[in-house]
Parts: sequence; C-alpha cells; structure tokens
Amino acid sequence: MPAPPIQIERLSKRFSEDVLAVDRLDLTVEEGQIFGLLGPNGAGKTTTLRMLVGLVHPTEGGSKLFGETVRPGVDVLRRVGTLVESPGFVPHLSGMANLELFWRAGGQKMSEADLDGALEVADLGNAIERKVKTYSHGMKQRLGIAQALLGKPDLLILDEPTTGLDPQQMREMRDLVRSIAERGATVLLSSHLLGEVEQVCSHAAVVNRGHVVATGTVAELMGSATTVYLEIDDLARAREVLGKLKGVRAVNEEGQGLSVELEGIDRKDVVAKLVRGGVGVETVMSRHRLEDAFLTMLEDGAP
Amino acid sequence: MIAVEFRKQIKRLRTYIGLGICAGLPIIITIALKAGGPPRDHGDTEAAFFRLATKSGINMPLAALSVMSLFLLPVVVMLFFGESVSGEAGWGTLRYLLVRPVKRARLLAAKIGVASVLAISGVALVILTGLAAGVLAFGWHPVPTPSLVVFSQGEALSHLLIAAGYVVWSFSGAAALAFALSTMTDVPVGAVGGSMGFVIVSQILDGITAIPKGVRNWMPTHFWRVWDGLFQLHADYGNLIRGTLHQLPYVVGFALLAWWWFKRKDILS
Repeated sequence: MPAPPIQIERLSKRFSEDVLAVDRLDLTVEEGQIFGLLGPNGAGKTTTLRMLVGLVHPTEGGSKLFGETVRPGVDVLRRVGTLVESPGFVPHLSGMANLELFWRAGGQKMSEADLDGALEVADLGNAIERKVKTYSHGMKQRLGIAQALLGKPDLLILDEPTTGLDPQQMREMRDLVRSIAERGATVLLSSHLLGEVEQVCSHAAVVNRGHVVATGTVAELMGSATTVYLEIDDLARAREVLGKLKGVRAVNEEGQGLSVELEGIDRKDVVAKLVRGGVGVETVMSRHRLEDAFLTMLEDGAP
Repeated sequence: MIAVEFRKQIKRLRTYIGLGICAGLPIIITIALKAGGPPRDHGDTEAAFFRLATKSGINMPLAALSVMSLFLLPVVVMLFFGESVSGEAGWGTLRYLLVRPVKRARLLAAKIGVASVLAISGVALVILTGLAAGVLAFGWHPVPTPSLVVFSQGEALSHLLIAAGYVVWSFSGAAALAFALSTMTDVPVGAVGGSMGFVIVSQILDGITAIPKGVRNWMPTHFWRVWDGLFQLHADYGNLIRGTLHQLPYVVGFALLAWWWFKRKDILS
C-alpha cells in the first residue's frame, strides 16, 4: 500500500518562549483528497505548511511526504507544487522568465516541465512576456499557481490561495483546484474562509492554537452543529417556548427573527413546538453550515 | 543553478548602477585630468598616481584604483554580496527557491559564485576603462611611478594585473561578512550597511595610532593599500602576501557563519 501523500506526527514549532505556533499536530491526508486546513488567523496553518515543505524546522515531531521524511531540499519535493502565503517573483523579469528560472533552479530541464499546462492556468496571454512588477495581484496569484503546477505535481499545497482575489477570481480559483484534483492530484489547502473550504474540500481539519480541534469529511464536520433562522410573530413567546426545549443550545436575536442553535433535535420538531405554543412561524431557514461547526469547535477546543 | 542566479542578478538595476560606476568613473577622471591638468604634489601616494597619470595612459587605471579602492569599490562589492540572499527574501522568492529539491548549501555556493563574478567584473571594468581612456588621452608610454622608478609598459601591466587581483581579494573578508548578514536579514540595506559600517570602523580604528599596533594590524582593512608597494624599485611582495593571508580567517569565519546560520534558518519571508 503506497504511503499517504502527507503524514504529520506530533509536529511542533516554538518560535520563542512565548510563541508556540504549532503544538503536537497530527494529520494524515490520503491520496486524491482535497483537504482543507481551516483555522482563524494565527492558528498555525502557514507555519505547518512551511514545515511540510522544509522551509521551517520543527521543534519536535516531523512530517512525511509520500513516505519520505521532510528535510530542506529533500528530493520528494519534486512531486510537490507549492504556493506559500503569497506568490513571489523576481520583479524585473517577465512572467515567462520567472517560470523558467524557478524550474531550472531545481536542476531540471525546461523540456521536463508542463509549460503549456501552466501557461493555460496562468491565462495571462501576451502579458506573460511583461515584467512581473507590472502585474496586478490577481495576475501574480494565477502565475503563482501556474508555477506550482509546472511539475505536474502529485501533491499541491496552497496557502490561502484566494487572498486578495475578487469574487470572480475566487470562483475561478475554486474551479481550478477542483480540476487539479480531478486530474488525480492531492490538494492541501489552508484557509480561514469557511465557505471556500465548504465548497471545494472533501476533507478538512479545524486548527486552533496550533493543534487540530477536529478532522473528518466536510460533511461530518458540518454535522457537529446546526443553526436555524426563524421569523416568528411573537419573539418573547418564542423565546419562552424555545427556552424549555431540550436540544436548544442557544437563542439569539438576529434582525427580524431568531437564530437558534440546535443539538440532537430536528428543525421540524422545533417548529411544531413553537406552533403548539401559539407562536406563528413565518420563515424557517437552515443555517446548517460549516461556519457554525467551525465556531462551535473553536469554542469547544479553547483551553 | 549558477546560470539561473546569474540571469537573475545581471538584469538588475543595482547591477547596472554598480558596474556603471566602475566603468564610468575612470573615464570621468581621465576627462577631468585632460581638461584640468594633473594635481599639485602633496606627497601622498594617492595624489602621486594622479599627478603621474598624465605621463602615461597606463597610470590612469592605477589612479582610478587608488581613489576607488577605499570606499566606492567596497560599496559596490558589498552591494553584490549583501543583497544576494536578502534581496531574494525581500522579493519573496527565497521560499520558492527552497521548496524545490535544492540543498541550501548549493544555493549559497551559487550566490557566492555570482556575487564574486560581479565583484571581479567591477574591478576589471575600472582597470579596462581606465586603461582605454588613459591610453587614448595620454598615450602608451613607459610608466613613471611615485617612487620615481620608470616601468616598461609590459612590466607595469603585469603589476597592474596583480594589483587588481589583490584589490578584489582584499575585499573578500568584508564581502564574506556582507554575505553572512545577507543570510540573516530580509532587508538588503541592512546587510550592505552593516558590512560597510564594519569597513569604515575598521579603517577609522586602523588610523588611530594610540591603539596598539598589534590590534590595528588585525583590522580587516589594514593591508588594503599595500598593492601600491608593487610600483617601487623593489616590489614589496611580503606585505602583499601578508595582506592576502590576512583575509583568510575573515573569509573562512564569515563564510562558515553564513552557512551555519542559513542551514538552521526558518524561512519566514
């Protein structure tokens, strides 16, 4: 059985006495998954990804890519495409020259690179021959992804790939990630944007304060909590009824209605109780979203 | 890797400016001397090379070297070494170089190689443009020197070549420091400024006679000007050899520091 593309065991990074960025993090990403590393800013996602490609030395523990222990410059990095934090290019050279130099720096010939595929992804047209310093953020981001794809990687690691993109570009990026996975590559994607992970990823891990709070398929993670939005004719009476219901974790006013957190009780039962309690229910909207699960898990995982 | 690094560095504005200064200043000095005549004799060697520059075109690169080797050339050389790693960090490309299957020591070796080629090119340009401009302006004559000995053209050229090689090597200790600082900071001006500060402090301390000679003799810049001993009746090779060996501990020490630091460094830029 082949080794998983990513295997992280008790990975820790302490930058100083006070700063423990990653704390005994365990994670396995299996082949073909689009895996989301989800967490708030400062959760340790980027540090984890940097350790995964040998940029940062772990204080404790380690990681393996395709069964090979990660060290700076290790040969298995040939199989990995990376976009860490933001793309970086030599500003006075063209997009094309940057792609060539990036590839040749690894000691490989241009004929071994998937230049046509990368240029298609970059979609920069004639601008590929322009100096990178004239590019917009979106153009640089696309060139960064193209650079990561030059070697037709078996594993693609993307750190916040939609940062700074407009909604149209974000959508294109999501489509691109899906199409890369359809070609057979495994994708590890970090993000603090829950919707992005929800829409793109098959699996995810929620990271907070440097360690994994929860992991599983996105569907499993979303099942951990449910929120429903209700518009009713009597807010006070509704609060009274809901307050007595087992399985209602929290009730918050939101605009014209109530946001109700449920655990172990169905929406239809809640609506039935409200109606039986004399409350007219006008709107019922599911908020069964990763966002709720994410926030719940962060609260639960907080020390 | 060296070809990749060279292509990256050669097309940079700072390279054009650095090499432009090296090529341009000897021409400017030649024009000034041609137009204004030689300076008066104040007895110091630097002025002596200038005074004699009009006697033979071959003296012009010596005059340029003497005026540039204490500050301007070191600035250019420190720029090439001090910016080589920190410049990449500043662009955000260092992390992309290191996510390739590239050993860090190999990357450093390539960067040192390219910075060395650029530094040698800078000094070579001073010599070549100085020689070309000097010969055009003042002719191809035997070369009078500050020690009143007159060298034949061939003899002067061979000594000039040795002097140029020595000047390049004399910068190596400070250049190694610039390179080590370059691995430590993401701000190129910090590495360049730090190493130039080191050079200036060394020159100042070396000039304070109250400091014991044993201490001053260990300043990295102490033997920088001994190349002018080549242009005496009996060329002073002893100081030249001492000056050459003098740089070794600095070069080895700072190069090891750069390697040790960069190997352990977390790339956060």
